[in-house]
Amino acid sequence: MRIKIFTILFLALTKIVFSQEQKMSVTEIAEFKATIEKESKTINTIKTDFIQYKHLDFLSKDIETSGKMSFKTPNLLNWQYTKPYNYSIVFKSNKIFINDQGKKSIIDAGSSKIFEKINKMIVGSVSGNMFDDKEFAISYYKTKEFYIAKLSPKTKEISKYIQQIDLYFPINDVIVSLVKLNEPSGDFTKIVFKNKILNAKIDDSVFSN
Amino acid sequence: MQKLTTRFLVTSLLLIVLVSCKSYQIEGANKVASAITNFQNLYFSNPETDYVYKAHIEVYGNDLSGVFVVKKINDSIHRVVLTTDFGNKLLDFEVSETDFKINYVVENLNKKIVINTLKKDFVLLLKANHKVDEVFENGTSIIFKSNEGNRTNFFYENSDDNQYVKLVHTIHAKEKVTFSFLPKNTTFAESIIIQHHNIKLKIELTQINN
Repeated sequence: MRIKIFTILFLALTKIVFSQEQKMSVTEIAEFKATIEKESKTINTIKTDFIQYKHLDFLSKDIETSGKMSFKTPNLLNWQYTKPYNYSIVFKSNKIFINDQGKKSIIDAGSSKIFEKINKMIVGSVSGNMFDDKEFAISYYKTKEFYIAKLSPKTKEISKYIQQIDLYFPINDVIVSLVKLNEPSGDFTKIVFKNKILNAKIDDSVFSN
Repeated sequence: MQKLTTRFLVTSLLLIVLVSCKSYQIEGANKVASAITNFQNLYFSNPETDYVYKAHIEVYGNDLSGVFVVKKINDSIHRVVLTTDFGNKLLDFEVSETDFKINYVVENLNKKIVINTLKKDFVLLLKANHKVDEVFENGTSIIFKSNEGNRTNFFYENSDDNQYVKLVHTIHAKEKVTFSFLPKNTTFAESIIIQHHNIKLKIELTQINN
């Protein structure tokens, strides 16, 4: 019986140790950043499915929404929810086109600094090109499965809404597979990317609503 | 001239007051004798349930979209949260019959008039028990009238299945806000429309199957 307990304890401990985040060394960070930056330059388009989990501490279950995302350099983005409702938001030429279950509206993003930053953040999160030291204080970690970049906004404008953005890059992959947006309250939004296709031809009509 | 202007102004104001004071009437309803003294709103009453809705808000020609969440966190308090579709929190309130606590509100919405309007709406939406002063029937509905000073609420229940389908909130007998419910069951409305009549504000909530 005692052996069994020890075995369970040992296995649990091993799991904790192996899944624990370790700070990356200066050399590792430099290598990682160089790889991501080099690879992200070769990306022209990204097509991916996503699942978004909204975690609110008081709910018994995260709110799950999902859909498709298309991105084309330099800054065409269509973020489309298909479940459990249809809602799409297109970022194009400094404008934001929203289609809310057939109800369409346009926001001039150029006139709003916040939207400009949101746009930059979304595009950056998806393409992994977010290592802007002016906007964020960045720390780097690794686990058995991931390299993790943790970005803390330096400006009050953003830190009011988001305390920290965690970008998870699978080891041996250069594209983000998970983004976690942590709010100051402790609640968070987690976005998991699946079925990613790089540099497939995406027609411009995809970026119209 | 001054006198004429004043008289015109007074007449106009009186006219506005008279027109806007047109009493809310329940169409074709007759007062009925009833022993019922309490109307119970069972929506949002199950503490086990996460009440999650897609929200669409029209306010003075602007459209806002997001996700609206309500959860009964103890006997008297409901937590109410509105987020954008991306998940960013816009507001986070704790609402009870006697208390209202703001946990978070995004800067653009942090205006007294916005907070007060939403507070009143949410209290009406969530308050469980209302005393009943009079009961009416109009063939399709049973209507419970509840007076609170200069405010009166009319709660409409379907005559056939006793589901709560409408709340008309009046101030000085004038219709100010109408809540329409499409019931899924006694504790869950799958669709809710909150229509204001004195300001251009409409809140549409549609249940998300989470």
